[in-house]
Amino acid sequence: MNQPDLLVQLQQGDEAAFKKLVEQCQDMVYNTVVSIVQNEDVADDITQEVFIQVYQSASKFKGEAKLSTWLYRIAVNKALDYEKKQKRKKNWGFVQRIWGGADDDSMNITDFHHPGIAIEQKESAVHLFGSLKKIPDKQRIAFTLHKLEGLSHQEIATVMDTSVAAVESLMTRAKAALKKDLAVFYKNR
Amino acid sequence: MSNNEHIDRLVNKALQSADGAERAEAKPFLFTRIQAAMQRQPETIWERAGRFIAQPAVAIVGLCLVLAINLAAVFGSGTTAPSMQEDVTVNVDAFSNTVAAVYDIDNNEP
Repeated sequence: MNQPDLLVQLQQGDEAAFKKLVEQCQDMVYNTVVSIVQNEDVADDITQEVFIQVYQSASKFKGEAKLSTWLYRIAVNKALDYEKKQKRKKNWGFVQRIWGGADDDSMNITDFHHPGIAIEQKESAVHLFGSLKKIPDKQRIAFTLHKLEGLSHQEIATVMDTSVAAVESLMTRAKAALKKDLAVFYKNR
Repeated sequence: MSNNEHIDRLVNKALQSADGAERAEAKPFLFTRIQAAMQRQPETIWERAGRFIAQPAVAIVGLCLVLAINLAAVFGSGTTAPSMQEDVTVNVDAFSNTVAAVYDIDNNEP
């Protein structure tokens, strides 16, 4: 079943079509989210939320973009929303600690090991993911979609609703920022 | 090899470490978990409000606010306007017709 057919059935509330969509796209969504949030448990929860939103708002989807583009957009937005919430929580963390609030483990910065990275690259990849956390969101999204999801600049431009030239610029700036941060990291190590 | 060259090599290795990475796979039974999450009752507005108020930071701020209002009321009450007392007295006088006053008629009949 191709994606336009799947979408039509999904818009009619067909649960079998929804199951098919989840099976087809779960790794794509999960990989995108886990590469952004860098936490497997959180990524699992966000992946569920992405599909729930897809199911609930399928009738509103006009089909102007490809289904995969729509999924990428929802996944990226949900991952970034989560990070914004975490930043807000972190700002309140001091107050929460004083008043005995729950300590959220997901807020702690730990080394992230992406499950898809080859073993011999694991150590370098940990440093790369550490630096990725420090660069601006748009640069990070463009870099992540290109390197970890294998999307072309044209596809990234569609997902990010921007031009190919803008994506190329984001990629160049992302690489420069990562290079700079990694150089500082290795110098101080 | 100089230190800078060594660092450049490490930086490039890190930048290329994501090249050719495989897709991370979602955990098994994702669809079942999605179905369970969809069937879960959404939190009501009262539950959400209760959870918000129960947060220690919110409770402390609320308590401080109540204390501040009370203190303001206590220390501000010393300057009550005397004219208010007069108004009350006037109003009491205006409505001071008692039952005895209404029936206070001389009965001249034998």
